[in-house]
Amino acid sequence: MKTETWIDMLAQGAGPAPHGQVMRRLVPVALLGLLFSAAVSLAVLGPVPAAMFQTPVPWMKLAYAGALAGAAGWLSAGLARPVARLRTPTHAVLAVFAVMTLLGGLAWWLTPTDDRLVDLMGHSWSTCPVSVLLLSLPSLAGGLWALRGLAPTRPRAAGLVVGLLAGALGAMGYALACVETSPAFVALWYTLGMVLSGALGAWLGPRVLRW
Amino acid sequence: MVDSAKHFDFETGLKPIWLRAQTGDEAAYREALRLIANRLRAYLRRRMQSLPDDVEDLVQETLLALHLQRGTYDPALPVSAWVLAVARHKLIDLWRRRGRQDALHDVLDDFGDGQLVAEGGNDHEARRDLGRLLDSLPEAQRLAIRLTKVEGLSVAEASQRTGASESAIKVQVHRGLKRLMALVKG
Repeated sequence: MKTETWIDMLAQGAGPAPHGQVMRRLVPVALLGLLFSAAVSLAVLGPVPAAMFQTPVPWMKLAYAGALAGAAGWLSAGLARPVARLRTPTHAVLAVFAVMTLLGGLAWWLTPTDDRLVDLMGHSWSTCPVSVLLLSLPSLAGGLWALRGLAPTRPRAAGLVVGLLAGALGAMGYALACVETSPAFVALWYTLGMVLSGALGAWLGPRVLRW
Repeated sequence: MVDSAKHFDFETGLKPIWLRAQTGDEAAYREALRLIANRLRAYLRRRMQSLPDDVEDLVQETLLALHLQRGTYDPALPVSAWVLAVARHKLIDLWRRRGRQDALHDVLDDFGDGQLVAEGGNDHEARRDLGRLLDSLPEAQRLAIRLTKVEGLSVAEASQRTGASESAIKVQVHRGLKRLMALVKG
């Protein structure tokens, strides 16, 4: 077929370009992923005592993971396009990590020396990152599917960031079931779980994000 | 210098037409795709000197990708950058399929694209016959594409002719084109 003919075919009855193509794929996937992680976390691990919601502890975790989900979702939306402005959303992602690291460091510094290790390791350090990772897997699969239908030209970066988004959604669900109270614990182990999900995304990105 | 001036011309020439095309102006879309095809041909010829026979195939494949993904264009950014980012992605994908990652290096960076554009005239025939590939699509998709894209019926007319709803026709056309992209990639 001649290219002229092909162009005529593509243009024929093409109509206007679809609006909000990126958001229409990413937002439902993120909401479903969050729903899944919250439901599984509550059903399998069980909710934290209701009284705990009177304290800032679960809110701190939800705010951290929620802020990362927002920033990583914003950056994913950029990486889903062939060209986009990425600087501000990249800074937003880094800022979320920086703020939590500062908070965790401050809490660590304020804790008496003898209690620091117990505080940091809690009673669930060995299961927290893995739980976050497992709870994030459906979001990761959904996020990669969403990106695959869009136009990411940097598959590794796109996989990494959508993995962080999935990790954050998994962490939000996990926060509903996690009774650890120390910001230092959250800054270390939650972050590790989310970064694991990001690493898995970065590994999968070049393999599945072909279009 | 000459090269960047040419890119600038491509951008300034294309942008207003492209923006009209995005709002649904079909004549502008056709014109924009023609300008883009010429630019793609130059871009790809220069980078595919070892595969000259595949250039036109990749031009057509890139045009299809641009069409399917035109919702990902952000009007605040240059349309030429968007077009070339997709072309580059398609080129990398082609090299990977051919197992020739080393060939990605732009050996001829000191040449302007213009030096390789002139030959070939306007009659750009691809090796691969997209018409034949269209025939291998599922019935509903092939019919929707034939009616709206080849016979030139409106979506409403195609809907009347087939009894399918208008949105079903649109979905079949889009799915068919996506499927075609998968077939093209082999």
